Amino acid sequence: MTLLKREEWQHLVREVDWTLSYVDDEAVYPEWMSGTGKVPREAWAKWEEDYKVSYPEYVATQREKESSAYAVKAALQRSTAWENLSEGWKSSTKMHFGGVTLVESEAVLAELKMARFGLNGSWRNMAVFGALDEIRHAQITLFFGHEFVGKDPQYDWTQKMFHTNDWVAVSLRNLFDGMMVTSNVVDIAIQLPLTFETGFTNLQFVALSADALESGDVNFANMISSIQTDEARHAQQGGPTLEILVEHDPVRAQWVIDKAFWGSARAFAALTGPAMDYYTPVEHRKQSYREFMEEWIIDQFVRTIEDYGLKKPWFWDEFMKGLDTWHHALHMGLWYWRPTLWWKPTAAVSKDDRDWLREKYPNWEKVYGDKWDVIIDNVNRGDMELTLPETLPWLCSMCHLPCCVATLGYDNRWRVRDYPLKHNGVTYHFCTAGCRQIWWKDRDNLNHPTVIDRFLAGEIQPMDVGGILGYMGLTPDVMGDDPDYSWAADYKDRLIVPRVPVAGA
Amino acid sequence: MTAAAEPQLVPLNAIFAEDFVQILVPVMSNNTVAELGEAIAHHVEGRRVPKRDLPKVVFHDGKRLDPSITVAEAGIGPLDHIRVEYSDDSREI
Repeated sequence: MTLLKREEWQHLVREVDWTLSYVDDEAVYPEWMSGTGKVPREAWAKWEEDYKVSYPEYVATQREKESSAYAVKAALQRSTAWENLSEGWKSSTKMHFGGVTLVESEAVLAELKMARFGLNGSWRNMAVFGALDEIRHAQITLFFGHEFVGKDPQYDWTQKMFHTNDWVAVSLRNLFDGMMVTSNVVDIAIQLPLTFETGFTNLQFVALSADALESGDVNFANMISSIQTDEARHAQQGGPTLEILVEHDPVRAQWVIDKAFWGSARAFAALTGPAMDYYTPVEHRKQSYREFMEEWIIDQFVRTIEDYGLKKPWFWDEFMKGLDTWHHALHMGLWYWRPTLWWKPTAAVSKDDRDWLREKYPNWEKVYGDKWDVIIDNVNRGDMELTLPETLPWLCSMCHLPCCVATLGYDNRWRVRDYPLKHNGVTYHFCTAGCRQIWWKDRDNLNHPTVIDRFLAGEIQPMDVGGILGYMGLTPDVMGDDPDYSWAADYKDRLIVPRVPVAGA
Repeated sequence: MTAAAEPQLVPLNAIFAEDFVQILVPVMSNNTVAELGEAIAHHVEGRRVPKRDLPKVVFHDGKRLDPSITVAEAGIGPLDHIRVEYSDDSREI
């Protein structure tokens, strides 16, 4: 007996929609879950993914990937590779493990929602594979991170981080709950597979994989490369969904993409930016964060949305300017508030580091160099208490990251500007005009209270640094510190011939 | 005539000169504007912004405040934004 050709049977397993007779379509695909909006219900019949996969093919491929990833891990477990990694690079991986593992788990919920409420059988089928992918990603990341818990308790935050009230956890929960959990499936498909996975995970997985190999961390590169190979397949749920949405409701399509792009860009500036431009040792950096963003995200994103007849987001100028500032300021904030982290952030502002930063970011010295100089002199004098916080940074009501975006004014001075908004008698502060605009348009959607909101509401007791660290779940064996402050050594001579401060650049 | 109101805690969103981040600074409503400026400077001056031997000026809602009046008299309320700059006439905002 000969087997049927693939194209002869595949439609039978892909196109599994049928006409409902016992219940209304609305009862099975309610608007608040399925979110068809202005798109006529029958329009979704056209939904078609580019690369079709059957379940046996899926299982065979995934089995191969898993075997290969775990074989490499087993081989490296007997080596001393981890012991030889720099603390800076290890911090990149701790940040990734803590920041990503449970997001993968949350993505399972998003895929399952599309697998149940997607408006086409083929879409639901594809989302089942997506859910299986995300289960694998959560498991593999958790398992790889777990190996190091015995060597360094900060790796315990691979599993723990998302369950704490650490400000980074609150920020990521706010972003991903909105993107993956509270949205209807049409918006999920545009935000998660199309904008976040097609765009941003490329940066985290491809770029960080390159830096991992340069830093000698074959195990980490192996893990994230294995994950990345799944993304291309399940990320294609975005394209067909967007195509149909653009045809019937281009305004909604533009808004959902813009919002997801902005939120993703802010989170990546906080996590991937410092990992690439500071934590990865300067001799191992492949490209700057800005260069990677331009190559892997911006060119591709703009091409994608223009192909669908959409425009660059309204915030484009603000976003592009932010490529020179957002992650540098967030890095300084992460370092200054280092006890609130589950990794060891190296400042990485030695003279070699600064030469590299100046070359990649011509304004870096002017905007950030003077502040690092004050910190460096305090470190070299041993005035460590001056390098540690006594209050909280103000956290943006939208992205929950510190309000730390400096812009160049008409007076030629770099200043952090305030973006306030009064609503229902409460004053909110935002880091950027982009965050303020999105919060306003989305104000009826989910918005977690920031750690500042919680502090002022009296939820954090006692109301001091110790109380804040306790609330965030930080214990002395985990809370972050600079691994060795060695980058300050280059400037020790300056204490004999003091630097002339030039403030207000 | 009513008794003077009890001093209230006034948490503020503050930025000091060219510092890189806004911070939370709580003050009392009966603190003077000069004390407010110093409370904000405490978290930044000599920590991230080089200390300069110049008086400090406090701005609220775009207005430069008289350093001798109180936070309450200046109309500063909870969650308001305050900017502190070094007084430098050649670079007046």
